[in-house]
Parts: sequence; C-alpha cells; structure tokens
Amino acid sequence: MELEKRGVVAPLLVTSTFLPLVEAQAKARRVSPRVVVVPHPVGGLNEQELAERIEVAAGALLPLADEARGSA
Amino acid sequence: MSTDWDVAVVGAGVAGLSAARVAAGAGLRVVAYDRMAPGGQLVNLTSVHDHPAPGETADSAGLVSRLVAEAEAAGVVMAFDEVTRVRSGTPVRLEAGAGAVTAQVVVVATGLGPGRLGLPGEEELVGRGISTCAGCDGPLFRGRAVAVVGDDEWTAEEALELAEVASAVTVLVPGEPRWDADRARRLAAAERVEVLPGVRVTALRGEGVLAAVVVETAGGPRELAVEGLFTYVGRRGPAGLVEEVPADAAGRLPAEGLGAAAGTVLVAGDARSGAVQSVAAAIVDGTAAGEAAVAARRAAAGPAPGGSASAAGPWLRVVDPTYGVPADEADGAVPEGGGADWTEVALFSNSKPNATELLRGVGDRLQEHWGLAELGFASKPNASAAADKDVIDWLAQRYKVVLVAVGD
Repeated sequence: MELEKRGVVAPLLVTSTFLPLVEAQAKARRVSPRVVVVPHPVGGLNEQELAERIEVAAGALLPLADEARGSA
Repeated sequence: MSTDWDVAVVGAGVAGLSAARVAAGAGLRVVAYDRMAPGGQLVNLTSVHDHPAPGETADSAGLVSRLVAEAEAAGVVMAFDEVTRVRSGTPVRLEAGAGAVTAQVVVVATGLGPGRLGLPGEEELVGRGISTCAGCDGPLFRGRAVAVVGDDEWTAEEALELAEVASAVTVLVPGEPRWDADRARRLAAAERVEVLPGVRVTALRGEGVLAAVVVETAGGPRELAVEGLFTYVGRRGPAGLVEEVPADAAGRLPAEGLGAAAGTVLVAGDARSGAVQSVAAAIVDGTAAGEAAVAARRAAAGPAPGGSASAAGPWLRVVDPTYGVPADEADGAVPEGGGADWTEVALFSNSKPNATELLRGVGDRLQEHWGLAELGFASKPNASAAADKDVIDWLAQRYKVVLVAVGD
C-alpha cells in the first residue's frame, strides 16, 4: 500500500482469509489497493494446486495490469 | 502529520483502538501508532473465541474492521511506525522511527509479543515450523504431526483447530491445564489430540525446518517428531518501552489506580500487569484508559468558564474539516514510481511458503503478456516483520509495477 501511495502500480495478491484485513488496513491508510484474491491457503499446496491458484490470479491480474497501463 | 497530540496511543490493537476511540470521541486530538497494521493480535487470528459472548466465535478480520472504522469515525489518526521509547514528562515524548512526537497523555497498549520458548535456534525456525497462528499456518501442516505448547483456553482452541488438519496434535502443558471443562471434554473427544501435562520443551531439532522437539517429562526426556510447533507461552510485555517504569516478570507494565504507570502515561490491555487476556477485557480496559485520558486532560485544563466542562480541556473545540485527512501531494509533485517505465516490473514476496512460487507464476504470465525482458525481485526476511524501508524506497524508485504477496 505504501508503494501505491508513492505512484507505483502495486497489485496485492491476497489469500481470501486475509482480504478483510487488507481492506481494513487500506481504509486506515487511505488507499484503494488493486487486489487479486486467491483461495486461502497458498502454503502447503502441491504443484497442481498451486498452478490452479496461479491461473486464477493471472486471470484477474492481466486485465487489471492492462487497464492500469492503458489509463496511464 | 502533527507532532504534538492530546493523546498518543502506542499499539492499535483491541485495547488501543478502544482507548483512542473514546479519547477522540471526547474531542481530543488522538494518534494511534502501530508498527505494521491495526488489529494487534487479531491480525494473526482467523477467529476470536468467547466473543461477543462466552462460547461464541467472531470473525477476527471483521472485528478489526469495525474497531478501525469506529476509531477513525471518531477522528483518530492512524500512524504506521514503531514507537521505541516513551519518556515521561509534560508533555510526554515518544521516539518513533519517523522522529519524535509529543503528547499530553500516552496510552501504552502494545499487547504482548508472540509466544516463545527461549530455546537456542528458535528464532531461525519461526515461519519454518514454529508458529503462533493455527488459523494462518495450520493448513501448512495438513496430514503432519504438530505440537502445541500452552495451558490456557486459547491453547486448547488452537489445538482443536489444528486437529482438523494435522495427523496428530500433542498438547504440551508446562504445568496443569487451565482450560475449562467444556474444552477439556472436546480435547478428550478429539481422536488425534493427546494432552501431556507437566512437560517442558527443552530443545528443538531440525536443519532449516523443524523436525522434532525434545521434552522433559516425569518419566524422563522424550523426543517428539513434529513438523509444526505452536507456542502460546513466554509472551512478553513492553518492558523498557516507558522510561523509568519497571516491568513485572513477564515484561508487562504495572498500573496504579486506573492504569497510570507514570503520571500521564497509561497502560491498557494485555500490556498491563495482571490484565485478563481476552477481547472483552481488552475492550473494557481500553475504554477505561480512554476515559482516564479524557479525565487527565480535563483536570489539566482546570474548571470550565461558567462551570461547564469540556471533554477536550480547552473550552472551545475548533472543528477542522480536514482533521485526520492526509494532505494531498503538493501540486506538481511527481510520485516516485511515476518516473519508471512500464517495462520495469518486480515481484515482492512476503516469504510465506509458496508465496514466491505464486508470484513467480503470475509474474511469468505478465512477463509473457507484456513481452518483458526480465522481472525484478525482492522479499521480506519473514512475514511477521514490516517491509524494510530501504527495500520499499528501492522498489518505489526503480519500478513501475510491483506485484505483492499478502496472506498465507
């Protein structure tokens, strides 16, 4: 969030359990972070499960990144 | 941001946010400091037991959100910095990373540090087998053996939560369990849980990651093969934070009367010697500290003209519509990341298991999508630590896009 405040496009890859906490922190810091949510947890997953998380995250991130670059 | 406050709260957990809300609600100018993020211990918990009522469970993130929202609605300004020293006086002086500030009243509500055993090699294994959060790290130990060290209600709840994923949960109780009959019954009924009272962990085994613990039992030493160790003992208070205020054996600060540790320095929540460690108690304690701060300011200001007391002390409360709202960037200022090119993309890992792998996987997709030559990379040394300022500076100056991993 500090990076976003300093002009960097800084999407947060957040596991679902931590999303409410990220939202609370964002509110306290007066920022609106770009958030990509993946199912919790990420740790402990095998290769296939992690690949599925990556697909989910990439599917959300790429249009978000394109939009940020396009609107710059 | 101002460097002179009516009230400064050190620690934006349950007690600190409660104190800050009450003081700000009475019209005082209040700043609440936290090293990383608001929420205190709740940040590392997925659920809170015995809240809002005994036997009930609440979502911890939701509770944090509510406490933060209420504090901010009252006018509390949040500051993310580490207060390293509190020097009593009038005003009280606080030393923080970004510089010193002063306040007429300070509420110390830092809570307690994470559970620690005080054994050699322990810190190196934190995040590599040793944890203090079953909800966060429990899934990492699915199908594996873990141990839990502690004797209180929270220890029992964490053990029960771990029993849902781990292959075996051994609860190592230093003395006798202090949890209630209902939790004792649930532990006894859990197939994969074994409670060992009267044992002491004496050594940790493992190269890079935890492999086993050695415990001293009435029958002699015993080695337990566990990959996870969840510790709920040895939590320390903020000893040394407040100048010339001695701490008790657990590092907590003493309180006389209504939390007064040193004149205009008050102590609230788990940081207070003798505090009951529960969410409900922290709310009550924090609220009392906030009210004490208001009373201290009223007393310092003397009687109000015409006999009417103002909460803020000064008799006229000037309402500044921009109060608490950070100033906009100066006109024409160029944000640091604004100078970098869109080809400058980096990953920033929180060092949790698989976080870097996830970032690299997603980063690879973005690299391919945008035809990037390379990706930068940085990481925190561990997930519990705040990001290093120099690393943030470097990322902000060098890159246009930084993908950041949050969570487990």
